[in-house]
Amino acid sequence: MSSEYPPTLPAEYADIEFENNAQRLPLVLCLDTSSSMAGPPIQTLNNALVEWTRELHDDVALSYSVEVAVVTFGGQGVAAWRGPQPLAPGAPVSPFVPAHMFSPPQLGAAGVTLMTEALELSMHIVAARKAELRASGLQYYRPQICLVTDGLPTDGTGHRTDSWQRLVPVLEEEQRARRFRLYAIGVGGITDLGEQVLRAFAPTFNARIQGFPFRELLQMMSASANAEQKGAGDEVFEKIFSQFKTQRPAWES
Amino acid sequence: MSGRTVFLDGRRVTLAEHPLKGGGQAAVFPVEGDDHTVVKLYRDRPGPDQERRLTRMLAMSPLAARPTDASQPPELAWPTALARGPEGEFLGYAMHRFGEPGHVQLVGLFTRAQRLRLFLDRADWRFLLGVSWNLAFMTARMHHDNLVIGDFSSSNVVVDANGFVTFLDCDSIAFTDPVTGEAFPCLMHTTDYSSPERQAGGPATRASDDFALAVLVYQLLTAGNHPFGGVPHESTSESTVKDNIAASVSYVVRPELVVVPRGTVDPSVLPPELLTLARSAFGPGVHAPAARPSAEAWLRALDKERAQVRVCPARPLHTYGSHLPTCPWCTRAATTGHDVFNGPRSVPVPTPAPPQQPAAARRFSPLVGVALLVALLLIILIVAPRL
Repeated sequence: MSSEYPPTLPAEYADIEFENNAQRLPLVLCLDTSSSMAGPPIQTLNNALVEWTRELHDDVALSYSVEVAVVTFGGQGVAAWRGPQPLAPGAPVSPFVPAHMFSPPQLGAAGVTLMTEALELSMHIVAARKAELRASGLQYYRPQICLVTDGLPTDGTGHRTDSWQRLVPVLEEEQRARRFRLYAIGVGGITDLGEQVLRAFAPTFNARIQGFPFRELLQMMSASANAEQKGAGDEVFEKIFSQFKTQRPAWES
Repeated sequence: MSGRTVFLDGRRVTLAEHPLKGGGQAAVFPVEGDDHTVVKLYRDRPGPDQERRLTRMLAMSPLAARPTDASQPPELAWPTALARGPEGEFLGYAMHRFGEPGHVQLVGLFTRAQRLRLFLDRADWRFLLGVSWNLAFMTARMHHDNLVIGDFSSSNVVVDANGFVTFLDCDSIAFTDPVTGEAFPCLMHTTDYSSPERQAGGPATRASDDFALAVLVYQLLTAGNHPFGGVPHESTSESTVKDNIAASVSYVVRPELVVVPRGTVDPSVLPPELLTLARSAFGPGVHAPAARPSAEAWLRALDKERAQVRVCPARPLHTYGSHLPTCPWCTRAATTGHDVFNGPRSVPVPTPAPPQQPAAARRFSPLVGVALLVALLLIILIVAPRL
């Protein structure tokens, strides 16, 4: 697996990250950029990513160990991004960027919803990253994958498909083995059926949220990363998530 | 926009709408019109024991007898008032604000990028040694006052530009009320700093503080390396710092057990006495709390080194222990191309190099001067093409 993503940091980064041998926390944002997200929703998402990036840079504890990768599904297929750069499929570069150097992509919305393929790519890059880290003697906390969508999985022609069901047993096993925490969040006008898909993917951390509260969503990911760094128990993550889910601001008591 | 209104000792204050920091248990808010105070509000209504704990704490003034100079912030962000709602219900407490940019979490000293960003040209090894001393002093003082830190980590201690430290989360400290005899345990911990008995659910003790202190001091003196880093050769795929602590696997004591993280600073940058303490803490001390060096032992050993720090003539921000014949940071820069303290662009381009000398001469040269010169040459040879 790692052969597709060998541990090649670009030369200008290699010197910077060489010294940091903190335990890492890989975080994947797996984002729906299909046509239904066009207009204000994608703009809201872009703005939220910019704000969140600033907060991430300012947080010395998170920026010490979090690494961010972005996966999108829209247009003609799926894409992994290294910060603002989309990577060519099979490019020999890891999409994970240390939090303090992360800058967000500027996303557009169009095309189909290859949600299943995007989740598979997310799992793949997480597994590859783990292999890279281990080979360097570096440890990692449990990675976080955050799936955000307002729709239903489609095939490459934009037709609804049930192929997502092939993922359910895989995800179940991966989460049972604690290989990552999967958050599956439905936004905007997601349907009951869409919500069912998310519930099947992420039985613990799924939600259907009114509107497009991407800022709160990303803050919830930071709060979870914080809890992970602290070594919190499952109940803390569930609490953080339920605070987000009920759409009360995270700071309200 | 304003947030909620709370009462501090009956005084009505308005909190900012957004917290400075929110965790799973509580969030910390600035107070409008008062830059020196923050209020910590619990997410779930705190119980009567928490209210009693804070009330008792207000009656205590630990470390108060310690003479400090005017530039030194208090070592504890001790509660200053209870925070109550309009009905008098207990919500949290107020404390002095120790925020950025003046006060930075200890973890900000653990990577070069953050050190340079947050401490500019201050955070060299001498500074890290001084912070270690302050940390050991704070711990020893708290133990002397019968306080157990309990949740001791790189996130809940802040350090200022002079290297003074302040412990933030005082409401989790374990102590016994001297008047009533009621024991208030510490219910929080941070796994990367938790001794095995804490991980297993045991109570916070001085010995568990001593373990966390040893890890933090080691991290400071190696510019950020966790002594329980590294992936054990025979581990399952999800091995973590926590697992290495539980299994007593530290490369400082037994490097043969793990794939040592690449880029790890050699433990020998610690002066011998400090390295001996570290090896006790990360070897026999892992499973035998009594074998861990106390905060006082750390303090004594750190104290000896403070007066003896050497300054490298070759590069800025290079200071090191007197036990070393040459600058370890120059040696490392020469062999790896990586300078732990200086950014790749902030170092001036050295003058062109005279003919090269064999690298092998460097390490074994009996003459410090020659060794320094050779190290400098190597830096020039290795770094120059990169600039």
